[in-house]
This record gives sequence, structure tokens and C-alpha cells, in this order.
Amino acid sequence: MSALGVLIRKELGATFTSPIAYAVGTVFLVVLGYTFSLTLFFTKVANLTYIFHQIYVLLILLVPVLTMRAFADERRTDTLELLLTAPIREVWIVLAKFAASLALVLALLACSGVYAVILGLYGEPDWGPIYGGYLALVLLAALLIAIGTLTSSLTDNQVVAAAGALGVFLMLWFADSVSYLLPAPLDLVAINLSLIGHFTPFVSGSVFLSDAAYYLTGVVLALFVTTRVLVDR
Amino acid sequence: MSKAYGRVRALVSVSLDIEPGEVLGLLGPNGSGKTTLIRMLTGYLTPSTGRIFVAGHDTVAAATQARRHIGYVPEAVPLYRHMRVREFLAFMARIRGVSRADTPSAVERAAGRTQVAEVLDVPIGTLSRGFRQRVAIAQALVHDPRIVVLDEPTNGLDPRQIIETRRLIQTLAGEHTVIVSSHILAEVEKVATRVAILLRGELLAVRSMAATPDLEALFLSLT
Repeated sequence: MSALGVLIRKELGATFTSPIAYAVGTVFLVVLGYTFSLTLFFTKVANLTYIFHQIYVLLILLVPVLTMRAFADERRTDTLELLLTAPIREVWIVLAKFAASLALVLALLACSGVYAVILGLYGEPDWGPIYGGYLALVLLAALLIAIGTLTSSLTDNQVVAAAGALGVFLMLWFADSVSYLLPAPLDLVAINLSLIGHFTPFVSGSVFLSDAAYYLTGVVLALFVTTRVLVDR
Repeated sequence: MSKAYGRVRALVSVSLDIEPGEVLGLLGPNGSGKTTLIRMLTGYLTPSTGRIFVAGHDTVAAATQARRHIGYVPEAVPLYRHMRVREFLAFMARIRGVSRADTPSAVERAAGRTQVAEVLDVPIGTLSRGFRQRVAIAQALVHDPRIVVLDEPTNGLDPRQIIETRRLIQTLAGEHTVIVSSHILAEVEKVATRVAILLRGELLAVRSMAATPDLEALFLSLT
């Protein structure tokens, strides 16, 4: 277990000293600040629904950039060979990389919490959708990072890893839009694969276990497959 | 053991015992299977058939226990270039099972043996090729393993660095079992106590260096 802690510390160091993290963080916060200000001034409504959807899109676009290095860079520089010949379990390496990327995104989400604070200070927001929205964002971030980590484990090329992750994200985002073309029961499968379909209820304040289970199952599945990729090298 | 990638046979029925304290040189041309053999010994690859035991532990069934006994320097000399040497060695020590309390002394000891003490607080990315090679060997020694595996350890070094690396390998003999791969005959002659000659994935011969006065003639006769 102590080796897992060491791996997490190493990954946190690599993540939080990477210029990519700061570039992604800057884009995330600048775009969000701009959107929040515009929305608040024009609508004068104390809710964050629009902001949550904005963050949803930003995560889909930015998470591939955050996770592309995870394994692709270790493969490119051959340092993966050092890790995989050390007396540690492959799943620890995967969990450490996942945890470090998630920590960065959680830090960014925490920064965005200032908008909720502002609404609370100067308005009377309905807190249910805000709590639900943040829960959805954490679950969404975990799933996207897990998938991004998986695509990174499949290649030594960071661009390929990022493009692969983005492709999977977009397919999941728009999965339900093709459901009407599919015969039963595939149409239901497509609808239930939809990222946005499981996201929207949270933002409106409706927290369903089935939606949470969708994200958590996806996280576990993606991390399991990533571990298998490393084990079956 | 054997290793195949689809229909390509990288190693064919290799059987080999390595004695404690010896320096075994794996000699063969590029593509002969040296790196594949080393990667299976270190647990990076699994054999297609057969089994490998390191200090009594099966490298597949008891992979974690087997890897504890191995220090490994891959051919590419992979290092985390953004880390300082001390930080890197401490990281490698910890993931190889050295306790937090023992890590600083383990780092100092490994740095002393490989003469990198003077650059312990220098970022790895700024080091010369020779120093990076020594740091790579230091990380292989930091947990005081029974077996040290070096894959083409003098590749890309200048003549002085080659001599220093060879001397360093010689100092490891006795305290550790050392396995060195090389495609350079003189390299093996200088450092090994026993040589295993590989060609196209087959182990052609294993000879004591003391009983092999002319390694060049042996190599030519076998290949």
C-alpha cells in the first residue's frame, strides 16, 4: 500500500509541475469566468445550469489533453519498463495515474465553486441542482479520465492517445442521437450509453442511482481494461 | 523457456542456470534475443513456454517476489528527466520495497557506489550521457538486489565512460549476481566470468571465461 502512496505522489508531482496542467487550467478558468459573467449579467438568474453544461463541454475537450501523457509518455521514454519490472502491481500504477489526473480536475472544479459562492452571497439559488451538478461533474470527470488513461495505455503517441480519447468521448456524448436509427433493443443500449443523458438529470437536481452507476461502472471498466493492457504486455 | 510473437520465434528452448555472484555475459549480434531473454528474466515479458525462477520465485506466478531481487538497467537508459537524481533514486527505492526510514541511506549508498553523489541534487535532464548511465545503474542498486541486469550498458558512451562503466560492473561482481548483455565481444571478455552466446533466438553455448582463452575463435566457430 505504501508503494501506491509513493506512486500517487510521483504522479501528482508530474501532473502539477506539467505546463500542460497549467495551460488546461488557465483555459478552463478563463472560459468559465467569461461564461459565468455573461450569463449572470444578461439573465440575472441565480443558477449554474448553463455553467455546468459549459464545464461538461470543457471537460470533454480538455481531459484528453490531461490524460494523453499518462502512459503514452512512459512508453515513449521507456520509463514504463522501469515501473513494470518493479515489485508493484500494475493496478497501482493505473490507480496512481488516474488519481493524479482526477486530483487536478477536482482542483479546477473547486476553483469553479467560487461561482456558487457568489450566487449564494448575492442571490438565493436552489442548492439542490448545484450540489447535483457538482456530483455529476465529479462522476463525469472520473469517467473521462479513466477512458483517457485507457487510450493513453494503448499507444506511445500522445496525439493518438488524445485523439482516441476525444473520439470515444464524442461517440458517448452523441450515442443517443443515433438511437432512432437502431432496431430494438440496440436503441435502448445507445440511449443508455449517452454521457449527456446521464448528466442532465443531476444538473436539474434529480440524483438517480442508475445515473451514478453508469459513471462508476464506466470508471471501473476502463481502469480494469487499462490494467489488463499493462498485464498482457 | 521460449518466446514467440505470433509466428516469429524470438527465443527457442533456452535453458540456463545462473550462479550466485557470477557475472554472466550474454553475447550475440543485434536481434539474437538478448533483450528478450533479459525482459523475461526481469518479468517485463512472460515466456510463451517454460518457466523462469529468480531466487526461487517464479517470474510469472510470484512476479512481485521475484522482482524484489532484481535491479535492472534497460538498454534505453530510461529516467524521469524532470526529477532530481536524489528524488528519482528515492522513488525507485520506495517502489522496490525500501522503507521510508531506510531510503535516504540507501540513496546515499547507491550514489556512492556509482559515483553520482556530486550530482544528487541536479535535475536528471541536465546530466551528461555518462552520468545518466551511472544514475541508471544506481537505481538498479538502490534496493541492494541479489541480481543486477544490465542491457547493453555501454551503448552510446565515449571511451572513458565505457572504461568507467566496465570497472563499475566489475566492482558489482561477488556482491551481486550480474547479467550483462552486449553485442560487443571485447565488452563481455572484459567483465564476464561466464559467457552465453545467442544467435537467432537460440542459446549456442555457455562457457566459463577462464576456460575460454579465445572467445573470438569460439564465437566465430559457433556463428
